[in-house]
Amino acid sequence: MIRTTGLTKRFGGLTAVDGVDFELGQNELCSLIGPNGAGKTTFFNLLTGTLAPTAGRVEYRENDWVDVTDDGPHETALRGIHRSYQITNVFPTATALENVRVAAQAHGGNDAWKLWRNVSAFGEYEREAREILDRVGLGDETDTVASTLSHGQKRHLEVAVALAGDPDVLLLDEPTAGVSSDAIDQLVELIRNVAEDHSVLLVEHNMDVVMDVSDRVAVLHRGELIADDDPVAVRENPDVQRAYLGGYEADGDGSNAGGNDTGTGGEPA
Amino acid sequence: MSEPTETSDAPAVTDRRGAYVRRVLADHAVHAAVVVAFALYPIVYTVLGQTPLGSEFEVFLPRVHAMVAVLYIGLFAMSFDFISGYTGYLSFGHALFYGSGAYLVVLTATDKVPLLGPDTPFMLLILVAGLVAVALALAVGAVSFRLSGVYFAMITLGFAEVAHVFIRNWDHVGSNPRDGASIGAAGDAFAVGVPGIDALQVGIGRLVGDEFGDVFGIGVEFGTAEVSYYAIGAVVLVCYLLMQRIIHSPFGRVMIAIRENEERARAVGYDVFRFKLAAFAISGFFAGVAGALFAGYRRTVAPGNTFDLFFTAEALLAAIVGGFGTLAGPLFGYLFNASVEGVLSTEPHGIARYLRDVLSESTLSAGAGGVTVADVINVLVDGRADLYLGIVFILFVLYVPRGILGTLRDRLGGHVADRLPERVRSRFRGRNE
Repeated sequence: MIRTTGLTKRFGGLTAVDGVDFELGQNELCSLIGPNGAGKTTFFNLLTGTLAPTAGRVEYRENDWVDVTDDGPHETALRGIHRSYQITNVFPTATALENVRVAAQAHGGNDAWKLWRNVSAFGEYEREAREILDRVGLGDETDTVASTLSHGQKRHLEVAVALAGDPDVLLLDEPTAGVSSDAIDQLVELIRNVAEDHSVLLVEHNMDVVMDVSDRVAVLHRGELIADDDPVAVRENPDVQRAYLGGYEADGDGSNAGGNDTGTGGEPA
Repeated sequence: MSEPTETSDAPAVTDRRGAYVRRVLADHAVHAAVVVAFALYPIVYTVLGQTPLGSEFEVFLPRVHAMVAVLYIGLFAMSFDFISGYTGYLSFGHALFYGSGAYLVVLTATDKVPLLGPDTPFMLLILVAGLVAVALALAVGAVSFRLSGVYFAMITLGFAEVAHVFIRNWDHVGSNPRDGASIGAAGDAFAVGVPGIDALQVGIGRLVGDEFGDVFGIGVEFGTAEVSYYAIGAVVLVCYLLMQRIIHSPFGRVMIAIRENEERARAVGYDVFRFKLAAFAISGFFAGVAGALFAGYRRTVAPGNTFDLFFTAEALLAAIVGGFGTLAGPLFGYLFNASVEGVLSTEPHGIARYLRDVLSESTLSAGAGGVTVADVINVLVDGRADLYLGIVFILFVLYVPRGILGTLRDRLGGHVADRLPERVRSRFRGRNE
């Protein structure tokens, strides 16, 4: 659905993403892991057009492969590449319903430019928003103002906003960030659920979640893709062990990738 | 469709229409009440002025002439709120659009604008003033929206100041452009209404406008200020309803989304630059209309009361007091400010003159430590509105940051127009039970 060729981003002397060749297949769930500062979020920003690459290409499959390297964030969004954020990034004073409704409305062509029509005349966006909120488990919170939702609910809303407008590709940036362990199960369930009908690229530090849900795992280290394989093979990969996992065992108590936030191979964020 | 079905549908259609009309009336009950209150004001002011406490009422109630300014400056403040309160971009150069509208009217009337003769209908001039402001807003916005936050405020302020300096030195305006330009009492009044049909138009302007004696046959006389008040009020009302319509449209929701989180608005698929630019142009349009109404009423313009930074500050103050992001709030905010200014004015209707007239000579000269009551009135009351408005501004920023209407919305839990009728209804129901 989306692929990159030689994708590179340099900030002055720092190469954040270094010649990455990557492809995400249809309805595939691929996790992108790596220590802090490995370039995961920069990679997301390149895919969504938030940042322009220094070199390389981003292509997106509609009927044929289309070069989307120079598209801005709103253009990639309208093509069907949506993202969620590591730090909750919604419309804080709007209700949960309005958060998703306004995101759905973005895909309604010129509807957003109809200055003379009342918003209530566009029931289809509200219906879509309600369906999405039901799907992410926020069906009872439609009228709750986003800023007053609990942290876990906000993480669900973050995904809900990304789901609006029926994207093909979902880039989920640490959906479980800061979520307590008992609420993680619901989010894992949600990730599995959305992966059924979307291609998902998931950035995640919780290795239990990664090993549990992924079809494939890609590992970024200092901007380079050092592994891209099925979860078991990646876990066994000695390069990955050295760079990131630092002795992770699936059933061990270190569910959080060997303390990768501060640990092995982790550069400053 | 067969005939019997059509006959059976007819009452249903009437019912639906009835329901629609009832819903519109219910939705706009508060609007209607406000419009009625404004419409009755000149009559109430006249009637109260004739009571035994007439002189006291005249001190504390704004004169109709001042209320005309509340309408057009209120419109300007609402247009400022449209962009600043709803997209979060503080337009510190908003006076540019007001000034361009005002100057367009006066320069057209003095035959100094190509393609537009002095006999151009005023209603058309209002529209042209709006469109000129749109063009200016697009040009300023195309550059300014590359920036955000305080930098956006500063660059728009910069543009307005460039225009301010230019207009102060532009010989085309008149022999002394620093003093602006004036039509005075020369020529016809600018007519508000349906162009081409005299019966459906009234002339505005304090000196040259229309006036009517004995309206409704109850001895109420409408002078030029009253007639202008209604005519300008009608235009302002139409402008408010148009802006309100846009705020409640899908476009308005995008404006709010930009204010709330521009990055996310872009990420969900909005080309935020175009939306901001369009919102700025719409806001500029109404500011231009406000400027045209001002010039039509006052028939004189000067750089200081049009293009000046301090004029934008009037709108900012009105929006802070009335409530940012409430649209109607800034008009009430300006009404509040104008009332304070009126009461503390040095004019004969101000409280200082009133106190000097009413208090006896012995009271005025009484005092302690060499400070008399008369001194206190002179120093702390007479023409000191700016001092108190400054204090009010600080108090609002600190303690009522959402302004009058914003706080009212918070208390009622939604738009005043929606919630107030609900509250009233539930109160009545509660009483009936």
